[in-house]
Amino acid sequence: MSTNPVVHVDNLALHFVSADSVVEALKGITLNIGPGEVVGIVGESGSGKSVTALNMLRLLPRGKTKIPHGAVSVLGRDVLAMGEKELQKVRGGEVSMIFQEPMTALNPVLRVREQMFDVILRHQKITPAAAEKLSIQLLQDMKIQDAERVFNAYPHELSGGMRQRVMIAMAFSCQPKLIVADEPTTALDVTVQAQILNLLKERAKATQTSVMLITHDLAVVAQLCDRVYVMYKGKIVEEGVTRDVIGDPQHIYTRALLNALPEGKTPKSRLETVAAAMIEGGDKVAATPITASAQAGFTQFGRAQPLFEAVNATVRYAKKYNFFGRPISYNTAVDHVNLSLYEGETLSIVGESGCGKTSFANSIVGLVPLAEGELRYKGKRLQDHDEITRREVQIVFQDPQSSLDPRWPIWRIMTEPLTVGKTPGRSELRETAEGLCQLVGLDPRSIDRLPHEFSGGQRQRIAIGRALSVHPRLLLLDEPTSALDVSVQAQILNLLLDLQEKYQLSYLFISHNVAVVRHISDRVAVMYMGKVVESGTAEQVLTNPTDAYTRTLMEAVPTLERAFAAA
Amino acid sequence: MSSVTENAPSAANSKATGQDFIAGLMPLLLQLRKLAWLLFTVTTLLFFLLRAAGDPALVLAGNDATPEQLAAIRAQYGLDRPLIIQYFSYMWNVLQFDFGKSLASSEPALEKVLDMLPRTLHLAGMAIGFTALIAIPLGSWLGFKPENPERRAVSGFLFIMQGVPGFVTALVLIQVFAVNLRLLPSLGYEVADPRTWILPTASLASFLFPSLTRVVAANVAEAMREDYIRTARANGATQSELLWGHAVPNALLGAAALIGTQFAFLLGGSAIIETIFSWPGMGWLLLESVQTLDFPVVQALAFMIAIMVFSVNACTDLVFRYLDPRLRTKGA
Repeated sequence: MSTNPVVHVDNLALHFVSADSVVEALKGITLNIGPGEVVGIVGESGSGKSVTALNMLRLLPRGKTKIPHGAVSVLGRDVLAMGEKELQKVRGGEVSMIFQEPMTALNPVLRVREQMFDVILRHQKITPAAAEKLSIQLLQDMKIQDAERVFNAYPHELSGGMRQRVMIAMAFSCQPKLIVADEPTTALDVTVQAQILNLLKERAKATQTSVMLITHDLAVVAQLCDRVYVMYKGKIVEEGVTRDVIGDPQHIYTRALLNALPEGKTPKSRLETVAAAMIEGGDKVAATPITASAQAGFTQFGRAQPLFEAVNATVRYAKKYNFFGRPISYNTAVDHVNLSLYEGETLSIVGESGCGKTSFANSIVGLVPLAEGELRYKGKRLQDHDEITRREVQIVFQDPQSSLDPRWPIWRIMTEPLTVGKTPGRSELRETAEGLCQLVGLDPRSIDRLPHEFSGGQRQRIAIGRALSVHPRLLLLDEPTSALDVSVQAQILNLLLDLQEKYQLSYLFISHNVAVVRHISDRVAVMYMGKVVESGTAEQVLTNPTDAYTRTLMEAVPTLERAFAAA
Repeated sequence: MSSVTENAPSAANSKATGQDFIAGLMPLLLQLRKLAWLLFTVTTLLFFLLRAAGDPALVLAGNDATPEQLAAIRAQYGLDRPLIIQYFSYMWNVLQFDFGKSLASSEPALEKVLDMLPRTLHLAGMAIGFTALIAIPLGSWLGFKPENPERRAVSGFLFIMQGVPGFVTALVLIQVFAVNLRLLPSLGYEVADPRTWILPTASLASFLFPSLTRVVAANVAEAMREDYIRTARANGATQSELLWGHAVPNALLGAAALIGTQFAFLLGGSAIIETIFSWPGMGWLLLESVQTLDFPVVQALAFMIAIMVFSVNACTDLVFRYLDPRLRTKGA
């Protein structure tokens, strides 16, 4: 480490204080970042990693935070002692930030031009003409081909990846000494993520800028960072050179976090959960043995009739309307998709945002109409909406924060499908809800609580319980773990595998996460621009893809293995 | 989705053809179609409502008319024909902007209304301008730091103001400025004398400005919590740059919509305010002609008000399109 670190955080504690509570977000952390160094801070939500990042520039509300002890110095100057005026000079000048959500991090009513000028003219004494030249140069450095157009565009005219390039260009615009990147690629598709991470790394190396990268994704850290700090509950539990920390983790939490990743584990085996590991304090690193159904599931599609079939399924959305309000042109979201799914099997659909995978799922449960083709369940047309079939096909959505009614107790939420067309008694429903809670691993005594009293993982259990209430045979799982932490993801995947084994459920699993798909699926279909470009067994498709797009996708996925191979 | 929007601007730059021209007129045509429906519905509804309310012949003839006089009047105005025939002939006349003559003054009803129109627009325009002048800065100030004690007191006062009926405000203003201080005239309208404008404008604005200020404040407060504000802060923006450069332009989008929807409410308020201040506008005329059951004038007024409310809403839509770049490109 250099003698003059760019960042030196010394035994920093930070509390969030409100009228009636104090939350200890940081409990004495110490970290250093040297010149030109790329340092990762990895941890799950609530670990304090984002608080650490925001506090570098004192972006947390002053009235609501307290710093009982510790120091933060950037370029040898004490950040905690700076006044607002001084901070404004540092922010965007010597230290700049890149945020997670490129869709909301840029002002929607201002052009890229205005937003870049905002930063450049504030920190540099140059003419607007020079600023324009500089901006376009910066955008070109971000490998943006039509930099002039992007420069004059509004944020909504740009894709997520393009906006994040603009954010990075802005971050580099005033030759900062340090860039703090808070989950810069979490909201992006994998192929875009790969491009963005490479750009960030290249620019940082080229300009000798230090980077503090906040992320939950160990694979991203492995790919990008020289050193890494692992945070858990407001403390740094492990630090060191990335290769050492990930290759030979010393702390239980780091090990547990790595074990919770589906990557490199036997497909369909139970994943070790972080919570269990932290409680047992155990050294069990090996994955638990493969389950019976996993072995059985792989090959048995030889049965005569599939449980579910899509024949030329096509979904279109109207794009333009004529004078009488009739649509005259369409976007085709799902383009003649043919798939079949057998009893007890997991078929995954992989693809990036906009590929049509969610539209396809929505068409199966009847949320969007099919423009062409047919969906069959047990040989019957699914579009006919017969009630029994409808019950046997259920869906679990991605975001458990917003897919549960916040004002309903969970017994009502979980049993709502039972009340369609019928009115079972209250006590009967409550009893059912208790049973469902046990099934999905929730405390049956909690059925009177409201959704906000549960964590994200528990809420996803509630959503699964709701789907199970009507004894479905086929469960559509639309990105059920994307909004969850790695360790919670492991728990939910375990639950899904248990349920499948117990009830011989069939899953149509929709995800962009290749590692998760590899872990849970028997067969995989890859969707790109509305079409299925490749399908086959999980092993075939994910390991030896034949389609060009599938190969691009697989190469873009950051994995620990590849990161070390490259290093 | 994203790739589609990215290609949009280049497609729009391609050569303008006749089809593009028609496509450009499309929003206007759609608006006109909506307006036609609205006017048709309003006119029809009002025709039957007024017929249900009473026999126009009785009103025309007066209380002590003989049956013969009534019959003569019915024949003269065509009221002896079947209702449906009357309706069609009425609608035919309306199509030619003929609402009949005022029963009170025998002038054409529409002309009478059009005479009043500029004065009402004058009053409403001043009230809206005055409201915007107060609500935008005040609301921005309030929304910037909503938890600050003096701003909370102002918010509380606005909340009370919102509950005070406009005519009460008008009477208080008259009492203070006209009766006690003798600074301003309490009634009348002089085009050349702006002093006669002040009290009516202030009274009418009091219908709108508390709610608009509160909306601006809420929108600014919300905008201040957005991610792009954090980005701007991380780029070193000062407090006032955050507020005026980033939060307020976004907050005004919501406020512009409110002005549009509240305009009908404002016209209702102008009926009261114009009457209190003897301001000879449409509101005053409305009250007057309803009291004297001057049907043709009431119908012409309803027609005009429908057009006005509609146009203001359509204009707000345009303002929106101007303010919000996201809508601007969608229309192209």
